[in-house]
Amino acid sequence: MMLQQAGSVQLLCLTANSGVPLFTRGASKQLPFSIIGSLNGVHMFGAGQGVVLAGCETDRGGRMVWRVFQDSVMLIAVSSGGQAQQEGGGAGEEDLHLRRLLENVWNCMVLVLGQDELASLRNVERLKRDLRSCYRLIDQLLEGGQGQEGIMGDLTHCADCLLPPNATLLQEGLDGFTQAADSEFGCLMVHGRIAAATEKWWRLAPQEVVLLSVLTRSLSLSGSASCDTPVFLPQGSPTVAHRLLRFQLLPGVDVCVLCGPSPTLHRAERELVGCFWSPLLEALRGSLAVGERCLPGSVTLRPDVLALLLINRESRRSVSCVKAIITNPNHPPSNHPLPSKARCWELLRLFYTFTTTRYFPLEETPALTLGEKAQRGDSLREDFALGFSHQPLQCYLVTEECKCFSLQTAQHQLYLLTPLSVPTFALSSVATQTLSAITLATGF
Amino acid sequence: VVYRRTHDFQPSSLPSPYGSCSDETRYDFQPSFTHSMLCRFTPSDLEPEWLDDVQKNGELFYLELSEGEEAAALAQVATNYGLSTNHVRFSEKEAEIISDESRKLPDGAPTKAEPKLKRLARILRRKRRPSQSRGPDGGGEDSSSRPVSILKNQAGQRVGVMVQQLKEVFLYLNPKRLGSCSPPPPERGGLLEALLGVVHRPSWGRGQGDPAGRREERITVHGLVPNSPAVKCAQILIGDNLVAVDDVDVTTENIERVLSCIPGPTQVRGPGEGGVDMSSAPRLRPSPSVSQLVRLLWGEDTVELQMSIGHIPHIVMYLSLKLDSDSPLEEQEILYQYPVSEASSQLKGVRGIFLTLSDMLENVTGGQIVSSSLLLNKQLVHVGYWKESNNLLVIALPAERYRHGKVIQCMLPYSIPCLSQSHIAFCQADHAPRLDHFFCLFFQQLIQPSRLSDSSGSTPTDLSGTLFLDGLPAVRWLPLPPEIKVWGWATTLGHEDFYGMRRLYVTLGSCLFYKGYLIANHLPKEDLLDVSLYCQHYCLLPLASEQRVGQLVVWREVFPRHRSQIHQTKTINNHCTMPGYCQPQGRYFLLIVGLRHFMQCVLLEASGCAAPATGAPGPDCVYVDQVKATLLQLEELDLGMEERLAAPPAPCLSCADWFLPSFVRDRLDTLAASSPVLSKLAGGVKPPSLDQGGGKVVGRSLFGRGARRPSSKRSQSDSGSEGQSDGGVRRPTGLSPHSTPDSARKLVGQRDSLGSGGSDGSRGSGSIFKSILFYSISHYSNCIPSHSIPPHSLLFCSMPSHSIPISLCSVLARLTSGAENTLFHYVLMEKVQGIFIAPTHRELAQLSGSIHPQLIRNFHHCCLSIRAAFQRTLHRGLFSGAGSIWRPQGTHGLGPVKEHGVLFQCKPENWTDQRKPAPTMTYWVIGRMLLEPVPQEFYVCFHDSVAEVPVEMAFRLSFGLAL
Repeated sequence: MMLQQAGSVQLLCLTANSGVPLFTRGASKQLPFSIIGSLNGVHMFGAGQGVVLAGCETDRGGRMVWRVFQDSVMLIAVSSGGQAQQEGGGAGEEDLHLRRLLENVWNCMVLVLGQDELASLRNVERLKRDLRSCYRLIDQLLEGGQGQEGIMGDLTHCADCLLPPNATLLQEGLDGFTQAADSEFGCLMVHGRIAAATEKWWRLAPQEVVLLSVLTRSLSLSGSASCDTPVFLPQGSPTVAHRLLRFQLLPGVDVCVLCGPSPTLHRAERELVGCFWSPLLEALRGSLAVGERCLPGSVTLRPDVLALLLINRESRRSVSCVKAIITNPNHPPSNHPLPSKARCWELLRLFYTFTTTRYFPLEETPALTLGEKAQRGDSLREDFALGFSHQPLQCYLVTEECKCFSLQTAQHQLYLLTPLSVPTFALSSVATQTLSAITLATGF
Repeated sequence: VVYRRTHDFQPSSLPSPYGSCSDETRYDFQPSFTHSMLCRFTPSDLEPEWLDDVQKNGELFYLELSEGEEAAALAQVATNYGLSTNHVRFSEKEAEIISDESRKLPDGAPTKAEPKLKRLARILRRKRRPSQSRGPDGGGEDSSSRPVSILKNQAGQRVGVMVQQLKEVFLYLNPKRLGSCSPPPPERGGLLEALLGVVHRPSWGRGQGDPAGRREERITVHGLVPNSPAVKCAQILIGDNLVAVDDVDVTTENIERVLSCIPGPTQVRGPGEGGVDMSSAPRLRPSPSVSQLVRLLWGEDTVELQMSIGHIPHIVMYLSLKLDSDSPLEEQEILYQYPVSEASSQLKGVRGIFLTLSDMLENVTGGQIVSSSLLLNKQLVHVGYWKESNNLLVIALPAERYRHGKVIQCMLPYSIPCLSQSHIAFCQADHAPRLDHFFCLFFQQLIQPSRLSDSSGSTPTDLSGTLFLDGLPAVRWLPLPPEIKVWGWATTLGHEDFYGMRRLYVTLGSCLFYKGYLIANHLPKEDLLDVSLYCQHYCLLPLASEQRVGQLVVWREVFPRHRSQIHQTKTINNHCTMPGYCQPQGRYFLLIVGLRHFMQCVLLEASGCAAPATGAPGPDCVYVDQVKATLLQLEELDLGMEERLAAPPAPCLSCADWFLPSFVRDRLDTLAASSPVLSKLAGGVKPPSLDQGGGKVVGRSLFGRGARRPSSKRSQSDSGSEGQSDGGVRRPTGLSPHSTPDSARKLVGQRDSLGSGGSDGSRGSGSIFKSILFYSISHYSNCIPSHSIPPHSLLFCSMPSHSIPISLCSVLARLTSGAENTLFHYVLMEKVQGIFIAPTHRELAQLSGSIHPQLIRNFHHCCLSIRAAFQRTLHRGLFSGAGSIWRPQGTHGLGPVKEHGVLFQCKPENWTDQRKPAPTMTYWVIGRMLLEPVPQEFYVCFHDSVAEVPVEMAFRLSFGLAL
């Protein structure tokens, strides 16, 4: 057994044709080269025989997923099992997480280096060096939700949002600022979540929006007040780089703009930032105060909602929050202690995976061939969901820790965690009330 | 009646030496019989029919359908395919001149069809047992029924005079394949060559123009056209003579005319109807006598069936992990593989992947590989692995056929029929045919289950249902009313040392099936599951339920899993209490005897207390007859069982269609479309029938079954034998919504209560429906304008419960709460005994409708998902103690799932009304795992109008049934 930690994921990247290792991330102890070589070899052998190996799993939940991108780069994810990744039902249904991971990592690589460099593989040594600049992003993706709590975009491919109390004000400010920066793509991030974005920003592919959020988060973690980064949009412009300008307005509040050659970072910082954002300082503070709850104070959640994830299926946006658990001193600790905050996030991710793989398949990029779908791991999942002759609307799980409930409407998907004390038959109405409370108050 | 006396008889001439330790339940319904009984059932002058089928290794699989069933099956096939199947009779040596008049009749005549087909079945059966002496078969009874030609054959064979054999060959001919062009001229072979593929050249000596000579000439097969039906059937040989086509005697003179009269199959049968694929290669039915399943079990036809799925990638391989590098052989690591087809060879080609992965994954992640997925020709294929010492079993299946549990489970049944150590089974060359047969069945069941069963020709097979129900570690049990006492047959006998000899086997227990339902069991759970896996794999249970089995005798050595473990661990076995006695390695044999709808499985143990088994013992007549005798005794239960199956479902079920407001309209449309008489009537009365409940005829035809008939007659009407209602309107039986007894009985009460109000019968019958309508409207208020609800429908909803007779109330346990019965379906599994209950097939058939079957399929599909969630929990629990690596601190994953539910919404199909949105109906499918008081799994499906607590429902159900 070479992967020591339970639940750790190791990511291997090789050139698809020659099998030269490009990098390895994850897991503290790296797999021996011989193993990496044969993992790659097995896939190559199959490809030679007309068989594309997609993945495999062990009795202990360990799994492996292969995928070749652009016929040039092979990504392999190895998870040792014993952890979150093997949630789900039958074979192949549950590796959504790993498949998403590979896709995200590839998109990350494209985002930073551009598709041309990755596809051509002209200079492997230089590519290896260049790829180092992706490590930070890739590591962030590998950590998944564990690194920064409450970020689900990498899994849901829906942008994590924060609903500020004074949304219109901020939106106007952002629109003006973006326009002044000769761009149509602008976005305001609070606590790593999108508080406001221009219309064009939302028109980017959902994965791109998610990736740009990841990038902005990692840039803002670096602590710099502003930066100017070239980015390739994996779907919009994988070969032509744009500039991503990012400015820190307040600690925790960033604004970024995608633009062409002008304006310079210096000019934008000097002339535009102060001019547009200083009048809105109070509003920004207000949205910062929303914190990780992501919902404005006008929304009152029922006390029996532990955590929630709300997805707008049309705009591919999501809001998620976990309530701070207030232990009531009057009540003695019950037999079933409420799950911790971190655990709630984990459960939310798991429940999301559970539900989407079985009942609420995500409708994304419909024009995929069967082969591509299978590569993405969507094929079987959709097969199972298609097996239902009737439309699933709601589903719930009762586990030892809590109750999970999800419902789907034409526009929304809502995932809820409630304590065990809530009667099962009441879950549906709790969810419906929560959904209407949020949508009515915020128009999400 | 004759043998009723005997079970009171206690011929305990020899006290059972194990009387003290044999618990009495163990030997229940073991047959008790005397020597006279024995004589009664095994006439000493006749050896049993199955004797010739016993194989070298002592195993026996003997299946014989009952005469009536064969005839029925044949008749059914004849009606289905009769016109498109053309019988061509060949004579091997000489033209058979059949003067029998009936021969001249066309095939379509039903009276003639049956004996002919019966005869065919006999021929087939004889073909199956070539070694058997004709004695028992060729009795005097046959001489009357058998046609002359056949008898002549037999006589000829016996006496040894000139052999004249007739072959009856069934060919599937499709004149349409010839296309629109005119039939080829006779000089170029004509239809004989083009259609049949038989080449006949006129005799050389004669001039072509000589008509007299041609008239005389028989059609000798001079050659066969490649890929023609004649070649494909492989039964027509060059030199044979074509004697008759469809019972019309043919010569060169009339053959073209006869062949040209064959109507195209598309003319006879609607295009696309049924399961016969016209487009594909001409289907050949050498003997459409019995269902494919039976034929498969008989070991016939496997090649054709296997070929039909040849393009689907699937394979089973047994690979050796110990590679001998010295040996130069190319594929030496393949110990066994099946099947050999193009798609499978591709999978075989990548076996290196499987070997490497199984080796590598263990090193990398510390777990054994269980499955992998790959893309083959754009098709997702899953591969299941099972490692055993130095060998690896690999099974690959298309993704949609593969369920994780199923493949794992397939290991279990195969370890039973084969050998306990599969490496022995796979390595011995002489096992290969059996394994081939085994895996042929396995793949056929998974890939094209519809072809195996005849009954489900029209309805799409419920693959999820099969996967789910077969996957449950339990046997379908039929709770019996107390009147039926299967246990009453219990005696403590069956273990006598007959004739003073040491007994051969000790009966460990047995279980009894009726029409595929378990009705009694004395086997320990593990053995029961093993036995049922065997039955499942060989499709014995559906066989017994669909087709009356004339006789079924199965005998084989088995290796029950837990018993071998017992031996290994040397735990005490309650069979031997002697101190110092060392438990020997026992051998176990499974004996299955089926008679009609009954099937009894007996597990026997050799050695130990009984004589040690040496070699490969075959079935012992005494034991077989013993079981057969029991079954014959049980036969008088048949009536009671049928009554039980015909009894109203308890708990009551509702049909999903009743909850859809569009129901009435749809039904009317379908009815009108299907019956011209009704369409006239319905045209006039449709609006009133909807609005006022006054549509007398329509109302009756819709609800006549439940409403118009007194409840005492209801059981008859359920049988569906009546096609004529008193109104003179022919009622299509499948379409009328059968009233579930709950509502039917309510209806009776309601009519009584309404009777005083002067409301006539049809009005009453309409109102039940409205009440359902009303009910659903109250939940979906947007669907139907409120004025269409007649006021008196309220009566039904608010009908006081005392109007239902109390006795009925007690019988008809309702699982759901609320005014209406909202229960659609359920499955309750009891894990300790390894049984589950679900509504019977007949109960389901009563709830016909268009939505309901969909709902059941959906339910099963969802149950697969729910059970997978439960399984993971169990799986985790199993592993949590295994290793420290496996148990991380705290919980991981979602944790154990206790309950899981999904709410579904259904809409009527092809909703055409543009103005209104389609009405919808929502229902829950909920699975619940219970640990108290006994471990159970409960799956239920109900309308979402009433909040139900599954735990309570499960409790009610199991309490009511006293599981």
